[in-house]
Amino acid sequence: MNRILCLFIFLVFIPSLLSGENSFNSGTQKKITISGHVRDQANGEVLSGVTIFENNLKQGTSTNSYGFYSLTITSENYNLQFSYVGYVSINKTGFTDMAITLDIFLEASENILGEVVISDKRTNENVRAPEMSIVKLDIKAINRIPALFGEIDLVKVIQLLPGVQSTSEGSSGFSVRGGSADQNLVLLDEATIHNASHLMGFFSVFNNDAVKDVTLYKGDIPAAYGGRLSSLLDIRMKDGNARKFGMSASIGSVSSKLMIEGPIIKDKTTFLVAGRRTYADLFLLLAKDENVRDNKLYFYDVNVKLSHVINDNNRLYLSGYFGRDNFKNVFALFGFGNQTASLRWNHLFSRKLFFNMSLIYSRYKYELGTPEGDANSFLWDSKMYDYSARFDFTHYLTNKHTLRYGATTMYHTFYPGSASGLGTNSSFTEFILPAEYALEHSLYATDEFKPWEKFTIKYGLRYALFQNIGPGTYYSFDENHNPVDSTVYAKGDIFNRYSSFEPRIAFTLLLNDVSSIKGSYSHSAQFISLAQNSTAGTPLDVWLPASLNVKPQLCDQVSAGYFRNFKKNMYEVSTELYYKDLKNVIDFRDHAQLLLNQYLEGEMRTGIGYSYGIETMVRKDAGRLTGWISYTYSRSFRIVKEINDGNRYNAPYDKPHSANIVVNYDISKRLTASATWVYATGLPVTFPTGRAVVGNSILPIFSNRNAFRMPDYHRLDVSVSLKGKEKPGRKWRGELNLSVYNAYNRHNAWSINFVADPNDPNITYAEKTYLFSIIPAVTYSIKF
Amino acid sequence: MGQLRIIIKLLLLSMMVVSCTERIDIKLDENYTRLVVDGSISTETMAHKVVLSMTSDYFYNMPPEMVTGASVTITDGVFIQVLTEGLPGVYSTDPTYFGEVGHTYTLNIILADPIGGYTDYTASSTLMPVASVDSIGLELHDEWAQYIYWEVKCYLQDPPTTDYYRCKISKNSQMITDTLIEWYVTDDKYFNGYYIDGAAIGYLEQSYADEFLAAGDTITAEINGIEKEYATFIWDAQVELWGSNPLFSGPRANIKGNISNGAIGYFAAYSITRATVIAPEYK
Repeated sequence: MNRILCLFIFLVFIPSLLSGENSFNSGTQKKITISGHVRDQANGEVLSGVTIFENNLKQGTSTNSYGFYSLTITSENYNLQFSYVGYVSINKTGFTDMAITLDIFLEASENILGEVVISDKRTNENVRAPEMSIVKLDIKAINRIPALFGEIDLVKVIQLLPGVQSTSEGSSGFSVRGGSADQNLVLLDEATIHNASHLMGFFSVFNNDAVKDVTLYKGDIPAAYGGRLSSLLDIRMKDGNARKFGMSASIGSVSSKLMIEGPIIKDKTTFLVAGRRTYADLFLLLAKDENVRDNKLYFYDVNVKLSHVINDNNRLYLSGYFGRDNFKNVFALFGFGNQTASLRWNHLFSRKLFFNMSLIYSRYKYELGTPEGDANSFLWDSKMYDYSARFDFTHYLTNKHTLRYGATTMYHTFYPGSASGLGTNSSFTEFILPAEYALEHSLYATDEFKPWEKFTIKYGLRYALFQNIGPGTYYSFDENHNPVDSTVYAKGDIFNRYSSFEPRIAFTLLLNDVSSIKGSYSHSAQFISLAQNSTAGTPLDVWLPASLNVKPQLCDQVSAGYFRNFKKNMYEVSTELYYKDLKNVIDFRDHAQLLLNQYLEGEMRTGIGYSYGIETMVRKDAGRLTGWISYTYSRSFRIVKEINDGNRYNAPYDKPHSANIVVNYDISKRLTASATWVYATGLPVTFPTGRAVVGNSILPIFSNRNAFRMPDYHRLDVSVSLKGKEKPGRKWRGELNLSVYNAYNRHNAWSINFVADPNDPNITYAEKTYLFSIIPAVTYSIKF
Repeated sequence: MGQLRIIIKLLLLSMMVVSCTERIDIKLDENYTRLVVDGSISTETMAHKVVLSMTSDYFYNMPPEMVTGASVTITDGVFIQVLTEGLPGVYSTDPTYFGEVGHTYTLNIILADPIGGYTDYTASSTLMPVASVDSIGLELHDEWAQYIYWEVKCYLQDPPTTDYYRCKISKNSQMITDTLIEWYVTDDKYFNGYYIDGAAIGYLEQSYADEFLAAGDTITAEINGIEKEYATFIWDAQVELWGSNPLFSGPRANIKGNISNGAIGYFAAYSITRATVIAPEYK
């Protein structure tokens, strides 16, 4: 541990030794620090990722996720340009001989446009930024994209990005660069969302009314985060309007939504409450059959946020999310949902040292059962809780060095399942899987070092420590994976630990003002994984920790990219290559039993895997026509000794070709048309190649694992949005959205099965199940 | 276990309400031919059958080719029972033959011509006990007008041992659950050592002619004590026959039986307990 501490101290202090600016040059050159927050003029929301560029010195920085920036200049005259996509750039010039706070308000370009759409001044941020394999989307862009049943869903938009695939039709699971869905860390205001799905995955848990922006890291994940191999999806909720009360409501074909926000104390304390509920079941009330009327099928979620500016140096944020799905009919009841809360405190130790502390709670649970009063009545539930704290420092040391360092700690509790009889008539005994507890800690430090104007290097280290802690029951298995023994550990016993050093390095070399080359390498470890062997997964899948039997999964990823902008940064073109090498990849034995199985670890088989690919994208974010076109070629394989006779097989999400086109066009100030087209090679699948008759049934004999493919997937969605006329004196504005999902009615295969002909059991044929034909939807929303 | 599967099936069925199906042409590869064994021996005194056939391509769409002229024997380690071929590929024991609880039976097959590279095949199965069923009952479910069914309820004291059950239902001596996919198979994980006080072991859907119950019909439940490996074989086969979907299904995989040398199928030994009930008047 001492070695680790020394290493971190070295990492944190090496930049100041290297630069020497602080210690030696301070007498000869004046150094002035300008810092502040950047916000939206209309609602006071802080803006993250705003570029701040000093035009005289050609130096720049950007705001962090709390809208804070700090820039140290060596001249008393400053000429700063603040720019952000979708906002009008502004310049601030002036003279100062001491450190100043410069809080900036940017105006959204759409708010000040006349009938003629003018383009806001574009920067080359994507070329210049010392980060790659990252996509940022703000909620305005997400809201324009046509959606299934008109229910706008940010995860579905994420699935349109290069390198990202949906795990199955309509699913809110996604695969990044061939990885599995549980390798994505999904954070809502820093709280982990363990299952981001509603209604068996057709909708994600994120209500776009409450979301401010979304960042997806497909590689080069910041060292502050870890524990997942494939990606980080960082979702930030709105803080609430700091200027005035606002309300929006919408009525859609699936759900209705209401959001209220406003200042409690103007420019100081804000609140936001957003809720939505689906109402398919409300139509059931019209049914003649009483039992049908009693059926329940709905989900709801509530987002709450409070923010408070204590003073210039201290801010507090409290966020909460609560969502649930309920399903009930005469045969079964089923419910699941997430709950999260995070309390964050921003503190400025100085203009150069930004600190954030977060206390986070996250819970996921489900229950499943049959109605009470029967011999078969039973209730089964499963839940997991995470409690964590994180301490993050951003140290704007000099213009050449920005340090980020911190520590995180998390306490995981897993209650994988308990089942018991329901009511006095039930024949079922109580069956409880032993709970599991684990601690996951990390220390990290990175330095963003800019030795020359055109070159930035980011290097850092994350040290992760994972501990299994009692009380716990450990099962040992023989070489055939059969349980042979069990050991019970007492409360507080740390009976197993894994640690991992995770170096990360990335560079950006600016070739000229419009093009750059970037590269990155990272090593990461994943200590908890989802016991899921279906492609889309269900809410019933349980997470399980690494243990004496299950080693953490490891990944080494290298990426290289070329970034080039055209037409005054109007068009952003990027190409990235990546290669991932995976160790201890988890798969499951054939016909594995993953639910309510205390010997779950005996069902796991581990091996190696690798993925590679090339992703290209042309993106246009400004003007009347916006959107992107992307194409990805990628492969992903696994080799597991006990699966497919030890031969290499296609990983479950291996889709070699995929292409996406996303287009939005502002026909007029009130009318917008959008379209998306998606194409992807079919998922790999195992099909029968022979048959045998046993027990009067035709048993299939299968090909090698994933040797066949589903038919190619493609789909076109379109939508049109018409905003109501603005009338003087009217405080509200309506918007009508018409969308068509799957516009050319392609019957994309959800599954393919082989069934026996009911008239002649000797005849079998292939049958495709598809979920969606053309689905039109109407949504009407009002904003106050 | 069986319960869990039924719940998941129901959840899936409610999903399927929104989906549609259509036939699709798929080109499948060919596979090499293997021996298929479908045989059993029970505690009942009767001619027990072992059926030998061959695998075919998946879209062969004809009855399987039978394997004739094989020498087939069953032994309990002491006595050897020689099976005789009646219909092509169907080999039977002497009608006075029966299995005994606790004995392990070994099936030996010697083919006249090799299939899949082998002529000799063998399989073993241990005959597990089964607790005597006290009675069975019938309960009508007409909560959903379009889906009326009788639930067959079972009353039985489960012993403290780990047990695996297979249940088959017949109506007026005619087997209703005559295919593998219809068998109800469960372990006693959730009721080990408990009195099973009316748990469902089968459903008779009234829209199907063979399952329709008229007053006075005799319903017989046959409950078998089977070995774990056989239960697993049936479960795995049922998973593959129920069909696959992206939500609940793992990768498709071959169903492992207990026949040597890569042959497909199972040779099972099992015990039998039975109870009957007369269908009441439908109100």
